[in-house]
Amino acid sequence: MTDRKIRILMAKPGLEGHWVGLLVVSRALRDAGYEVIYGGNMTPEAIAAAAVQEDVEAVGLSILSANYLQLVPRTIEELRKRGKGDVPVLLGGIIFSEDLEQLKQMGVAGVFPSGTPLEDIVESVRQKVGQPA
Amino acid sequence: MGQVPDETSAKRGAAVIPNKKEAQLLSSSGIPIKEVYTPGDTTEIDYNKDIGLPGEPPYTRGVYRSMYRGQLWTIRRLSGFNTPEDSNKLYREEYELGQTGFAVAPDISTCVGMDCDDPRVSADVGHSGVPVCSIEDMETLLDGLPIERASTYLAEKHGILTAMYFAVAEKRGLDITQLRGTTANCMLAWTVLNLPNQVPPQAYLRYAVDFIEWCAEHAPKWYPISFDSYNTRDLGLNAWQELGILFATTVDYIEEEKRRGRVPLDRFVRRFSFNTAAHNDFFEEIAKLRAARRMWSRIVRERYGIEDPRCGQFRVHVQSSGSTHTTQEPYNNLVRIAYQVLAGVLGGAQSIHANGYDEGVCLPTDESMLLSIRTEQILQFETGVTNTIDPLGGSWYLENLTNELERRAWEYMQKIEDMGGMAKAIASGWVHNEYKNATIERATKTTSGEIPIIGVNRFRLEKEPYRVPFFRPDPQSPQRQIDKLRQLRERRDRAKVMQALKKLEEATRRGDNVMPATMEAVKAYATLGEIVNVQLSVYGEWPFPIYG
Repeated sequence: MTDRKIRILMAKPGLEGHWVGLLVVSRALRDAGYEVIYGGNMTPEAIAAAAVQEDVEAVGLSILSANYLQLVPRTIEELRKRGKGDVPVLLGGIIFSEDLEQLKQMGVAGVFPSGTPLEDIVESVRQKVGQPA
Repeated sequence: MGQVPDETSAKRGAAVIPNKKEAQLLSSSGIPIKEVYTPGDTTEIDYNKDIGLPGEPPYTRGVYRSMYRGQLWTIRRLSGFNTPEDSNKLYREEYELGQTGFAVAPDISTCVGMDCDDPRVSADVGHSGVPVCSIEDMETLLDGLPIERASTYLAEKHGILTAMYFAVAEKRGLDITQLRGTTANCMLAWTVLNLPNQVPPQAYLRYAVDFIEWCAEHAPKWYPISFDSYNTRDLGLNAWQELGILFATTVDYIEEEKRRGRVPLDRFVRRFSFNTAAHNDFFEEIAKLRAARRMWSRIVRERYGIEDPRCGQFRVHVQSSGSTHTTQEPYNNLVRIAYQVLAGVLGGAQSIHANGYDEGVCLPTDESMLLSIRTEQILQFETGVTNTIDPLGGSWYLENLTNELERRAWEYMQKIEDMGGMAKAIASGWVHNEYKNATIERATKTTSGEIPIIGVNRFRLEKEPYRVPFFRPDPQSPQRQIDKLRQLRERRDRAKVMQALKKLEEATRRGDNVMPATMEAVKAYATLGEIVNVQLSVYGEWPFPIYG
């Protein structure tokens, strides 16, 4: 590893407007030493494009509107199209437990349903993405 | 919205419970709370001037003389899902169950003002509410509902959905001047959400004031605005910030009309209504509603010199606070909701929405919808809490708390006014910075256990003890909506639509009241998205001021 910080893109695919979870987790990751690129609401295409442009090592998504089974695979597909299919995609928000397996099969590296302690999220990112410089 | 619990502090259990004798106890909004209150804590109160009787200024004890003995609060649940057809069926069921008013929650695509066939919204159609793209959808939504008797609450922006509603009523041969309902188009509620397609705060103000003016003449029984602090509170602002920001917003609207001078201020203000959250701190929430009534009466009577008693009445719809609900052990939310609704009742609300216990997770299931209606009905008919008005009035604690909240709320409001008013405070980014700080503060306090959440950061179970059924939107419904809209686009008279939209744009640019042109456009089957595009072409899109 170089001295460069580990960069993570944090975004909300789709148009649903609840931004608190995204902001709070972004802050926690920043505090833990990661470089967070806060994207806010973006289309799956824009997320993938930003992931390439910013050369991020992980993508964190936040969805609270029960349409993650549509938006997450679309985002992963867009990342693959741009040769960025190898970056871990992490998902937080309102996620039903019965969907966890399906999300894993779609290629989601980690799921953090609402109520997950922040330190658990940070720890999981450390394991899956790497220790910040 | 995100609770951020902390497992380790929960495991420590009792260790995080403060020693009450040493620690100063604070209300949820930071007001020091004494161990016991005495008459010495209310000496500055002048009963006649500050409290008085219900139905008399400053209305501290209630806006009406007989309150719930005369009329129980309206049970009004904001709802809507999948399609106008499915939501219509839901509204009929709610009415059958004894719900006394309808409340339309638009889906994400409708909230952002995009038609459901817009590729940008494809995954969001039918989520979090009902899609309404045109007057045709509104007709379906209202089909068979007794809108001449029941009142309807429309959560929307800029009066467009209400224009559709009025147009449908006209088609049915109803007299708009007799219709009762509320349009919730307060900039405060909308600008907290990170939505695309938002016009700048100043434009929100313009459209809302246009709408209030129009209703003053054409729909005098309609509440043309519901000043809405619910979302700001759910983001983490505290009780007195909630009141300060709420009333700073009202003043912006009144000042705008004063500048315009189109409608006498007493008529402009007469049908204002309000919407607040009912949060966890039980007594503080009751005190908040009492303080709010007194503040509003003082703004109207003392600041603007409006004597008409109808103007100074703080008529409020209260909703249990979604941000306090947890996804862990969802039935706990039923208990939280019942306490919050009770606070609303003891605080004298005119209309209440008890959330579904599953609303932290999804739109409510049929069972959870039934439970929330029953929660309110049990309070209304079994508990006796409606028997006397303002039952906590005169409590040294509660009167002291009411005063303290009022004092702090005036200060916060003044701060916003010093910045040039609410629209300017939003446009400058200051308000969103407040939201951001409040959000982070709450996350920190939740992590540390300072804000206890049972079953999450306190007494958390290692294993999920039970599961509840969750609602999922029908994945087929967006396509049905899209097909319907495409058919409408083919069927309608395109030239007529274009002409109506052109007239709307001209009226917008000229500074005319936009409602007549909006009514004409919706009647010509112009879609929501087309009308919003006119607004955006005039005002441009407002960039959401939170960048991480």
